[in-house]
Amino acid sequence: MVSTHYKKPMSLPVAKNTIIDFNQVSFQFPDDEEAVFQDISFSVQKGERVVLSGPSGCGKSTLLYLMNRLYPSNCDGKLNGSLQLWNKDAANYAPGEINARIATVFQDPDAQFCMPNVEQEMAFTLENLHVPRKEMERRITETLEMTGLTPFRKTTIQTLSGGMKQRVATACAILMQPGVLLLDEPLAHLDPLTAQEYVEWLDRLQLSRSLTIVAVEHRLDLWGPFFDRAIHVQSSGTYPVEMNPMRSSMNFPKRTTSIQSVVAFEACNISVRMKEKQLLQDVSLCLQRGEIAILAGPNGSGKSTFLKTICGILKKSDGHIQYGIIYPGYVPQSPEHLFVTQRVDDEIRFSNRTDDATIDDIMLRLRLDEIQNAHPFSVSHGQKRRVAIGAMLADKRPVLLLDEPTSGQDASALQELFHLIDERAKEGFAILMVTHDMTFAAAIADTIFLLKNGELTGRFENNGLLKHAEVLRDHKLASPFGACPHV
Amino acid sequence: MSSRTWLHDMNPALKFILVVISMLTLAWFFNPWTPLIFFLGIVLLQFLFSRVNWKIWFLLMIPIGFTAIGYLWTTLLFAADTTGNVIWVWRGFEVTDEQWKTALSLTFRVFAFSSMSLLFAFTTDPVKFVMSLMQQLRLSPKLAYGVMVGYQFLPVVREEFILIRHAHRLRGIGKEKHAWQRLLGMRRLLIPLLAGAVRRAERSAFAMEARGFTGERRTVYYEPIGIVGRDWLMTIVIISLLTVSSIGGLLLS
Amino acid sequence: MLKSWKLKEVVLMSVFAVVFAVVYLLFVQVGNIWSGVIGPIAFEWIFGIWFIVSIICAYIIRKPGAAVLSETMASVIEVMIGNAVGPRLILSGIVQGLGAEAAFAATGYKRYDWWVLCLAGVGAAIFSFAYGFLVSGYSALDPSLLALMFGLRVLSGAVISGLGGKYLSDGLLATGALRGYSISRDVPKKHKIKGEVIG
Ligand SMILES: Nc1ncnc2c1ncn2[C@@H]1O[C@H](COP(=O)(O)OP(=O)(O)OP(=O)(O)O)[C@@H](O)[C@H]1O
Ligand SMILES: Nc1ncnc2c1ncn2[C@@H]1O[C@H](COP(=O)(O)OP(=O)(O)OP(=O)(O)O)[C@@H](O)[C@H]1O
Ligand SMILES: [Mg+2]
Ligand SMILES: [Mg+2]
Repeated sequence: MVSTHYKKPMSLPVAKNTIIDFNQVSFQFPDDEEAVFQDISFSVQKGERVVLSGPSGCGKSTLLYLMNRLYPSNCDGKLNGSLQLWNKDAANYAPGEINARIATVFQDPDAQFCMPNVEQEMAFTLENLHVPRKEMERRITETLEMTGLTPFRKTTIQTLSGGMKQRVATACAILMQPGVLLLDEPLAHLDPLTAQEYVEWLDRLQLSRSLTIVAVEHRLDLWGPFFDRAIHVQSSGTYPVEMNPMRSSMNFPKRTTSIQSVVAFEACNISVRMKEKQLLQDVSLCLQRGEIAILAGPNGSGKSTFLKTICGILKKSDGHIQYGIIYPGYVPQSPEHLFVTQRVDDEIRFSNRTDDATIDDIMLRLRLDEIQNAHPFSVSHGQKRRVAIGAMLADKRPVLLLDEPTSGQDASALQELFHLIDERAKEGFAILMVTHDMTFAAAIADTIFLLKNGELTGRFENNGLLKHAEVLRDHKLASPFGACPHV
Repeated sequence: MSSRTWLHDMNPALKFILVVISMLTLAWFFNPWTPLIFFLGIVLLQFLFSRVNWKIWFLLMIPIGFTAIGYLWTTLLFAADTTGNVIWVWRGFEVTDEQWKTALSLTFRVFAFSSMSLLFAFTTDPVKFVMSLMQQLRLSPKLAYGVMVGYQFLPVVREEFILIRHAHRLRGIGKEKHAWQRLLGMRRLLIPLLAGAVRRAERSAFAMEARGFTGERRTVYYEPIGIVGRDWLMTIVIISLLTVSSIGGLLLS
Repeated sequence: MLKSWKLKEVVLMSVFAVVFAVVYLLFVQVGNIWSGVIGPIAFEWIFGIWFIVSIICAYIIRKPGAAVLSETMASVIEVMIGNAVGPRLILSGIVQGLGAEAAFAATGYKRYDWWVLCLAGVGAAIFSFAYGFLVSGYSALDPSLLALMFGLRVLSGAVISGLGGKYLSDGLLATGALRGYSISRDVPKKHKIKGEVIG
């Protein structure tokens, strides 16, 4: 994978100019003993589409933070070597100067906003850039139009679902008309069809504005031939580059179902109303022991709401739930809430329901052994999610609810997750999982439930669903076999 | 009736200054009439120039009533000034007319302050208030937008609180019996909540900086908040009310 | 003054202010009801709660102005939430913050030991009492009652906000969430140069 195989004919460079240049850069967080990066070198040319890839926790987000100059000043980290932006040393730019030219969409859909509604948030961005007022109005309308967010102009951001927030964040970044766009796993929370549209739309945007795009992504298969180059992130040395990276979707082993005929969990006619808005309407769903079920549906259809309601975090306005005496295990969309101890290792061992061998196995397979002494709050995004999943798997709860466990995980982590969940099912646990990853869903699910606008619109045996192209499209899902968008 | 929106439309920073001025003025009066007249005047103003849900207004006034009663009898029992004519005796405990007046005054003061506060709370949009502090009173944008982030965080705090408590229950901690254990348990709840707050602060700050926010004063506003003629009219009305109640109070007592 | 502040520090104060504003408002409700029964003295023994945010923020951020700014932001947010105490809370917030700030200023922003934090709590108590003396008409009350109220408030400031604030912040520090703030930077030095903390 470390080679330069072939080139797209149209992208033959005519002395492109380098805009981001890392030369022998080292970076270390203040309290860490080891540097995250040691003497790394790579560069990005103007107008390029680059993807940074590498296993979860290898420092991709940190690299983006270095590029937009949020680090080192915001974390007191030690930076050595030469980091040049537009052929000028990054440290020599005035505050804010870089950020007006390099826009960023962060990994975490929450906590990217400071104003109540979408329009105000966009206005905030333009005010920072001292855009005249007439122009503001025009740019906001235009960008909303382009991103398909016009109906949400006055919506309170806090009430949007994770995927919608991510789209708003992208809209704000585009609004700045930047020279460089940094995207940190932008598709992680989007439903498949929206993700496809997103890629197509980014493609058009890049062509019309000669934008430079640097994205972090594990799931290259969703992007088709979008990227010119893939840069493989490592902890030291010159980064290997791969031209025109393409991946076909992942292959998972075949699994046989382990459904037993005992009901593990039942929810009857669940309705949730919040501020006059019906979030869930008469959702009934039943899981048997050993069953792996997927809950899928478009962004904002109420999947997270449903899981939260089952756990009793949200109050149901109607309906009734039965799950035996032990609470279901739950991994929330933001997994940090689960953490109660100071070390990753303690976190996994907390419940004390499992023997050491199983725990070591979980730690090893989720690659948590390398961070076992770190504080659960200060590891990377994907690692946090794996810690939470690990803790819940070790807890041995008869019913397990996972909210987007696949988002932000690299290929090998997905494989391990597949096996771990499969094993739990064989032991008789019932698992309900929300995911947008249809490849994973198709490989693991016994049953797929579809949710749309807060209503349960279908229950399918796994292979049954994929035959219904109509139904899939209706729920903004894509068949895993034709997932490549046509760019 | 269009005049019913006047208080709602009023410039928030100006309204804020008026509240503070009224309060600092009232603090110098120890006669019962001044705060009483002011209180009634404010209620009237609210009646004329705003749309207030009076049911909620009364509900909010109930706890204030408790505080006022507390002030009443504490001042009666522990007045500094015990001169004047005794008007009431009960089991060897005497209340003079001066004491009674001061006590009433402090009680009405509680009502006067609260009515003013409720007027502000009922007629002011929080976001506009902060934006107006920034635009009219030159509050630093760093602070203003910092406060805005905090304000967005508010509904999240509630949700996170429930989530954390749930997570703790899920993982089998958090069932203390004694009061002091529960107090120490508070720490276990508060610390994850605060740790979450720290990370949220950091991320929000990063996101703001990534959007080009530097904390310097802005040159254009998308939604400028101004002061118009009617604002000055309302200012004159409130200042007159303050003057009338001050002078009236002195004359009546 | 704000030039040397990082945005993330300002936002930190604000989100802390929110967490505690919620706590404050809960206590106001409790206090209001109690004060009907036992008078204004009901608030005194829990008064320290109101200063805790300024002490925690000053302890974590260790910059001049942290105490007064955080307390002010907390009060602005309380006003935004909407409550019956109203905009005048902002004024009392500023006064209380100044009280705490005075203690940190007196030590030259160099020491953040437990007793300095207690002192800050006491400072906030004194300032807020003086303010209450003016605005709530304490001057009409009997001096011995006043002395009792004052004593309780100072004690509460020292214990609840000073020691309580330290207890909470140290717990938070142990979670590693405060990496990148002055408090974590100064901890190792504190052990090396005994008691001397370089701010
Ligand atoms: N503020 C910090 N202080 C100390 N260490 C940190 C900090 N942030 C991240 N790290 C560590 O640095 C490493 C890289 O983290 P980073 O978030 O950049 O990973 P990533 O490649 O983006 O991973 P993911 O794909 O899971 O998001 C991780 O091992 C993490 O534990
Ligand atoms: N507090 C709230 N007030 C009003 N509406 C809300 C609130 N919380 C969520 N919603 C709405 O409920 C709907 C469902 O949200 P939810 O987070 O469950 O979606 P989701 O299916 O998990 O989406 P995603 O795939 O993007 O995570 C959304 O339309 C959202 O706007
Ligand atoms: Mg990352
Ligand atoms: Mg969701």
